[in-house]
Amino acid sequence: MDFNYTPAEEQFRMELRAFLAEALPEGWGETVFLPEDEDEQAVFRLDWERKLYEGGWSCIGWPKEYGGRDATLSERAIYAEELARARAPELINIIGQNLAGHTIIHHGTPEQKARFLPGIISSREVWCQGFSEPNAGSDLASIKTRAELKGDKFIVNGQKIWTSFAQHSQWCLALVRTSNEGPRHKGISLLLIDMRSPGITLRPLRQISGENEFNETFFDDVEVPIENLLGPINEGWRITMTTLSYERGPEDALGRQVRIKQELDTLIAKTTELRNDGKRLIDDPLVRQKLGRSIAEVEIIRLNCLRALSRYLAGEDRGSDASILKLFWSEVGVRMSETAMDVLGPLATLNGDDPLAVGSGRWLTSWLQSKAFTIYAGSSEIQRNIIGERVLGLPR
Amino acid sequence: MNFNFDEDQRSLGETVAAVLADDAQLLAPDPVEAGTSKAWEALAELGLFSLLVPEDLGGAGFSLIDVSLAIEALGAGLAPPGIASTLVVTELLSRYGSDQLKARWLPGIATGELHAALAIQEVGSGPDPLSMRTAFVANGLSGTKMLVDGGSEADLFLVLAGSADGPAVVVIDAKADGVSCRAHDGLDPSSALAEVTFDNVAVGDDDILGGAAAADAVATLQDLGATVAAGMQIGIAARVLDISVEYAKVRVQFGQPIGAFQGIKHVCADLAVAVESGRSAAYYAFWAVAEDAPDRARAASMAKAYCGEVARDGCNRATQIHGGMGFTWELALHRYMRRARILEQAFGNSDWHYDRVTEQTVLANGHATRDEAVSV
Ligand SMILES: Cc1cc2nc3c(=O)[nH]c(=O)nc-3n(C[C@H](O)[C@H](O)[C@H](O)COP(=O)(O)OP(=O)(O)OC[C@H]3O[C@@H](n4cnc5c(N)ncnc54)[C@H](O)[C@@H]3O)c2cc1C
Repeated sequence: MDFNYTPAEEQFRMELRAFLAEALPEGWGETVFLPEDEDEQAVFRLDWERKLYEGGWSCIGWPKEYGGRDATLSERAIYAEELARARAPELINIIGQNLAGHTIIHHGTPEQKARFLPGIISSREVWCQGFSEPNAGSDLASIKTRAELKGDKFIVNGQKIWTSFAQHSQWCLALVRTSNEGPRHKGISLLLIDMRSPGITLRPLRQISGENEFNETFFDDVEVPIENLLGPINEGWRITMTTLSYERGPEDALGRQVRIKQELDTLIAKTTELRNDGKRLIDDPLVRQKLGRSIAEVEIIRLNCLRALSRYLAGEDRGSDASILKLFWSEVGVRMSETAMDVLGPLATLNGDDPLAVGSGRWLTSWLQSKAFTIYAGSSEIQRNIIGERVLGLPR
Repeated sequence: MNFNFDEDQRSLGETVAAVLADDAQLLAPDPVEAGTSKAWEALAELGLFSLLVPEDLGGAGFSLIDVSLAIEALGAGLAPPGIASTLVVTELLSRYGSDQLKARWLPGIATGELHAALAIQEVGSGPDPLSMRTAFVANGLSGTKMLVDGGSEADLFLVLAGSADGPAVVVIDAKADGVSCRAHDGLDPSSALAEVTFDNVAVGDDDILGGAAAADAVATLQDLGATVAAGMQIGIAARVLDISVEYAKVRVQFGQPIGAFQGIKHVCADLAVAVESGRSAAYYAFWAVAEDAPDRARAASMAKAYCGEVARDGCNRATQIHGGMGFTWELALHRYMRRARILEQAFGNSDWHYDRVTEQTVLANGHATRDEAVSV
């Protein structure tokens, strides 16, 4: 066991830190924040992703041959820490860089890799995830969106829902039904669908926070060339399960930890400035208890990730322990946001436009947004089922 | 960076676990009977007490990281806490004792002949390990300590005491004039807890750990003690989870194992997550204390606060999962609950450590601490 950094790793950190300082606007995270308007925000974030790419700081865990850095465990941990430190914006192309990228690297044909990976790493092409349907959420294997092979094309019909960032996406990684024979999960395939294809309609769905990140996506006789089938036909379920181990794995959870820690550090700073009855919030023993718990839990997310990555590096399989990581970070994230609302009290309920608002009302939005953590990427209940059955061996 | 234990470290943990599991008396439902087990002798024979002793004094010269899993196993196996306390004393003596002091005590500790105990808590001092009335003036140490584990058997005490120069860790021979000991009557007789009174006991300059750097020894005792307690707490939590999962697989109600009910399954899953998370915190704290990392204090407090809660919650949940059986004397689940409660009191409770986590973070993030803010 060793948490010391080598000189080469320190060098890596300094290079990255210098890059971030240079690439982000002056006063970032202190006086300058993301644009309020959703469209402007998307433009800003995509621009940021391109900057990361141009600096060589995109998808650092990918193999070098695809433009990554083959980053080591330590480098990935440093990367997460430094992005947190710099309060760098979140990725819009997260589905492309985490899910689609990994799936194509592991299961794609040479042509698919050549066609898609450069667009993903540079965020020139943004991806969305077309998995969930109105009647297939937690029970994903019950999807009904059909893809029929006609000649050298699939004809896709059906509906997806909760498709995040579909409005900004050029491509969709979609789970579709290609067979109704045998067990449900043996008739599912993965298609790479061009979102500009005729027959695709989006209907924005308004979220709990008032924003429009996700959508309903309708497919009406959409043609998808056969070369956009990812992996063998009817093997989409098996492939997706390995993909999801990335979505729920330590790489993702480290990124989440970064966001949560950024907010927590900002909250701590606020509690040293704001006063009740002349007394700083941070000096209230109840505030200190709540913060202490969140600080410990948020740090433990990071340590859990480092332990998991260390195990994988020592040759252990990526197993169901991804569920442990996901359940923990999501529940901790939700609690952290509740702590922020509790600690900031009445001021926390004000929107950015109110002159009394703290930190442009970001707490309010974050608190509302955090409610999704325990629903998407496998709800907490589903994670508990997986842990109970596959990790602990309890009966179904 | 690497978060894995190596082959030797894992195998030491497994060996300690196996030795303890062989000792049926140790797991007896009656904590008084458990208190008479031969665990100490068995572990001494294994060489456990020599591991942290420097090589030139007859030890193996291991680091704290090497024994982390063994300490977790001590917790899981309900080893008397005096065993872990002796390891804490060993580490402190090795780091801060004068040559003379080390030569006097460490060889006897290494063979398991000498038992060492930590005298820290006092009546009315609250959860802060540093708030104490025991003090030495004019080279005489006076005061009364409580909940000293292994107190009656101890050959030497490490006593936390105040002095004109601030708090210090003082080594006291149990046979010295003015030392008296009374066994407590309480929750966990298997912990062999005692009240120890020091009445103007003579203290030589050499008996103060760290000498001029006494404050370092005090700070290390705090972090090391908290970390070792956290390691044992997470061992307890992991063990009661295992016991509960096994029971949930075999106990049938309504025609199916109770573990198939989500009300039980999800509780086990939450506990499994908490146990793994507690391990992350405890293992990191072991590393931070072994290496004197800059965030040592925060790491130790995180571990003690979090693992303490997980141990308590785990014991409560385990009892619930066992139904009426869980409430019986014979099943002996109560042994874990009793021990977890004793460890919760040691080296500061969870509340105190969460507060310290906040304090340390405020400092590390460059904000003013309480005291400075008042003067602003
Ligand atoms: C912000 C956000 C973004 C999303 N983005 C995407 C996206 O980009 N692409 C995409 O494909 N999907 C996306 N999703 C969808 C997400 O994956 C689903 O919401 C999720 O899988 C749950 O499905 P559901 O909403 O149908 O809920 P349901 O499955 O209907 O669940 C309802 C409740 O029942 C519980 N439940 C269900 N089954 C069980 C069981 N077996 N045992 C115990 N409890 C159970 C659930 O835990 C939940 O509490 C997104 C969701 C959110 C909130």
